[in-house]
Amino acid sequence: MRRALLYTLLTVASLVMVLPLLYMLSLSLQTEAETLSAEAVVWPESPQWGNYAELFARAPFGDFIVNSLVVAGGITLAHLLFDPLVGYVFAKFRFPLRNTLFVALLATLMVPFFVRMIPLYVLMAHLGWINTYQGLITPFLMDAFGIFLMRQFIQPIPDDLIHAARIDGASEFAIYRRIILPQTRPALAVLGLFTFVFQWNEFLWPLVATTTPEMRTIPVGLTLFNQEYFTLWHLTAAGSVILFVPTAVLFIVTQRYFVRGIALTGLR
Amino acid sequence: MSVLRPRTLSARYARTAYLFLLPAILFFAAFFYLPIGNVVSTSLMTGPSADRFAGLGNYTQALADPAVRHSFLVTGGFALIVVAGSIVLGLGLAMALDQPLRGRVAFRVMLLVPYLTSVAIVGLLWRNILDPELGVLNRTLAALGLPEQQWLNTSPLLTIAAVTLWQSVGYTMVLFLAGLQGIPETFHEAAKIDGADAWHRFWRITLPLLAPTTLFVSVMAVISGLQAFGQAYIITNGGPGDATDLSVFHIFNVAFRARDFGYASAQSVLLLIVIVAFTLVQLRAGRRGEVQY
Repeated sequence: MRRALLYTLLTVASLVMVLPLLYMLSLSLQTEAETLSAEAVVWPESPQWGNYAELFARAPFGDFIVNSLVVAGGITLAHLLFDPLVGYVFAKFRFPLRNTLFVALLATLMVPFFVRMIPLYVLMAHLGWINTYQGLITPFLMDAFGIFLMRQFIQPIPDDLIHAARIDGASEFAIYRRIILPQTRPALAVLGLFTFVFQWNEFLWPLVATTTPEMRTIPVGLTLFNQEYFTLWHLTAAGSVILFVPTAVLFIVTQRYFVRGIALTGLR
Repeated sequence: MSVLRPRTLSARYARTAYLFLLPAILFFAAFFYLPIGNVVSTSLMTGPSADRFAGLGNYTQALADPAVRHSFLVTGGFALIVVAGSIVLGLGLAMALDQPLRGRVAFRVMLLVPYLTSVAIVGLLWRNILDPELGVLNRTLAALGLPEQQWLNTSPLLTIAAVTLWQSVGYTMVLFLAGLQGIPETFHEAAKIDGADAWHRFWRITLPLLAPTTLFVSVMAVISGLQAFGQAYIITNGGPGDATDLSVFHIFNVAFRARDFGYASAQSVLLLIVIVAFTLVQLRAGRRGEVQY
């Protein structure tokens, strides 16, 4: 009895979560007439894969995809490059002002993006970086959370390993590159995964910092496409599917890491 | 072989540390601390290019502006619904999943999937589903002869908050699940032996021991709820009327449609103060409510 209740509850909740997304897929394959018919279509009579081609014909969707890949990929690479290095310094080095700098770093966690939005826009306008890749990427090159995560992960690595390498004459960067970095792989995987998914989905800054359709990322390009062609729901749905598929695939492949990663954010 | 003197050694390590830190120091200075300074200084300016000093004029204007006050109220209500929903639904689902059931992993995956979607998908998809005429929900209800819904007109704020929860509740569920799994089984067993029923065990053991997780979830939900933007931008355009004029959406419009950077900056600072205040109050309350068994 109690088990039946639990199963019912979980099934209903899961359907509420998944059915809208399946409907999005169905909608993306419907004819325009089907999207407007009085009785809603559950699954199209004959799937219109041509909708996807039509979307590319009506909007520079190829550009959107390239832009999203460059921006989300570039930011992810930067995080993987910088966050562990900075985390290593805070985990293993003693130097003047260390605690002050660390507090100043953690304080940036308290700064929501909207506070930076207007001054960043003004800064980018001064630099002439509005509507450029560097304008979209640079505000997110590192973040305190990623650095903190890496510091926590690097701290338990024995100092003796580092000392031994120093005695052997290894350069400081070689110690980081050859000894520390290889041991952080699981944390790097989580960091890379989360950074990519969040940046792939980011909406506000690409909306503010782009001015021409050719520079828009998928979330922004798709939303503004929908504002222009607000009755062509099958095409908007097709674009949504394209936006969703990469994150869905990444998630299914790595769902264990993903869940552990979320739990980790809660434990800080 | 020469023995290195510790003083030069520590100086050398410090030099290495700063060398490695240099990109980060430049980055956080240029893209966090400089903008924070600039948003405050811009908030004291007025005019179309924000170049005339206005003192605290923008702040007094904002505090007296009915539209600004309304947007703060709307945002507060929105955040409140999101926080309550995150805790109740997230904890409920986590407790259901924290049982020896078949297919737990599959349920967890399905419940978490919306968390991966961009706010663009959340917004566009639900705007389509809930659209009074073209939406799949009303077309289905009409075909079944049931009364149609007008939720985006009758209770717009609750509706966009529900849509937000659709996306985020899987995340809070995973956080609660981790919290539940950290409670030792022995506490429940001991209480059972003492004759406590499930209701009492929930209120006296589960909930108090989950307090740190609940605190974290509510802090995160307040912070993200108070800065929601896409829901208003995509689903309702702030409407109907100004019923869903969320603060960041309001600030966005003042800055980039009305081009009043000074006024928008002042509102950003005010919203930041609200967020920091809420966070501090929650952390305070959370610390007072902490228990140890």
